[in-house]
Amino acid sequence: MNNLENYKKAFLSTFPIKEEQLEKLEYNQIDEWDSIGHMGLMSELEEKFKITLDTDDIVDFSSFQKGKKILKKYKINI
Amino acid sequence: MLKSKVVLITGSSRGIGKAILEKFAAEGIHIIACSNKKNNIHIDYCRKLSRKYKIKIYPLFFNFNNQDNINDGIEKIKKLNIKINYLINNAGIITTSSFQMTKKTDLTEIFKVNFFGQFYFTQHISKMMIKTDGSKSIVNISSSSGLDNDIGRSVYSASKASIISLSSTLSKELSAFKIRVNSIAPGLTETDMMRNNTKKEYIEKTLSRISLKRIGKPEEIANVVFFLCSDLSSYVNGQTIRVDGGMH
Repeated sequence: MNNLENYKKAFLSTFPIKEEQLEKLEYNQIDEWDSIGHMGLMSELEEKFKITLDTDDIVDFSSFQKGKKILKKYKINI
Repeated sequence: MLKSKVVLITGSSRGIGKAILEKFAAEGIHIIACSNKKNNIHIDYCRKLSRKYKIKIYPLFFNFNNQDNINDGIEKIKKLNIKINYLINNAGIITTSSFQMTKKTDLTEIFKVNFFGQFYFTQHISKMMIKTDGSKSIVNISSSSGLDNDIGRSVYSASKASIISLSSTLSKELSAFKIRVNSIAPGLTETDMMRNNTKKEYIEKTLSRISLKRIGKPEEIANVVFFLCSDLSSYVNGQTIRVDGGMH
């Protein structure tokens, strides 16, 4: 599984959404991506990519697209 | 009861932390035993417990007064690649001085270790715990000082009160992930830290206020920590339990 697939899978296993929704998905856009859901997503990403996200990055992680840029800082190219 | 589970204990090399280490080891639970500096006596002791109870113990060393050290500790924990069921935030330091005589450095140091470090550490470990199946619990070791606000303990009491407040908030936020969070407020407990930081007169005065008329043993605190991790306390969440022999 490549990085993009893993990245998508983290979202799809955390939130009850379809893959087509991912590209434009933003924080708080769906009920499930609230502060609690956000914590679940961060946990999923940290485990999948074996990284420890900095708190500032967790706060900045505001959309599916923004997340890709943030993960670049951790040498994960999506 | 908690077989095949994993507990992470901070401040595990002495005092209450060591008693918690012994209790969980005796119960057959695997342990990530954190303490602030490398200590071969502690490592040998962990090895002895590990053999005696046929469990795995991973001694790790990092200090809570420095964020880089905490980050280093978190990375070491992640590299173990094991699921954590229980987090016992026990690491802490104490200072005794009247309000006007409290140095800024003491104020900063106490809060760095007793609150900011634990806050940051718990942010990371709780995220890892989300992925763990089965029972999950966080126990924060506060102090009766955090509730009674003893004279000469303005900074220490405030730092321990902040732990009680944090525990209450976390119990609400982490319940979505089936993680229970409680705190314990030990009273006078027989540890080196207590003996080195409490005047003899204060100990005697406090003893007169304790119904059981004796100082608590570290293992008596450890027993309550174990209870709060076990399923015997499955409906206990967001509480602060005094373990003080009945202080009045």
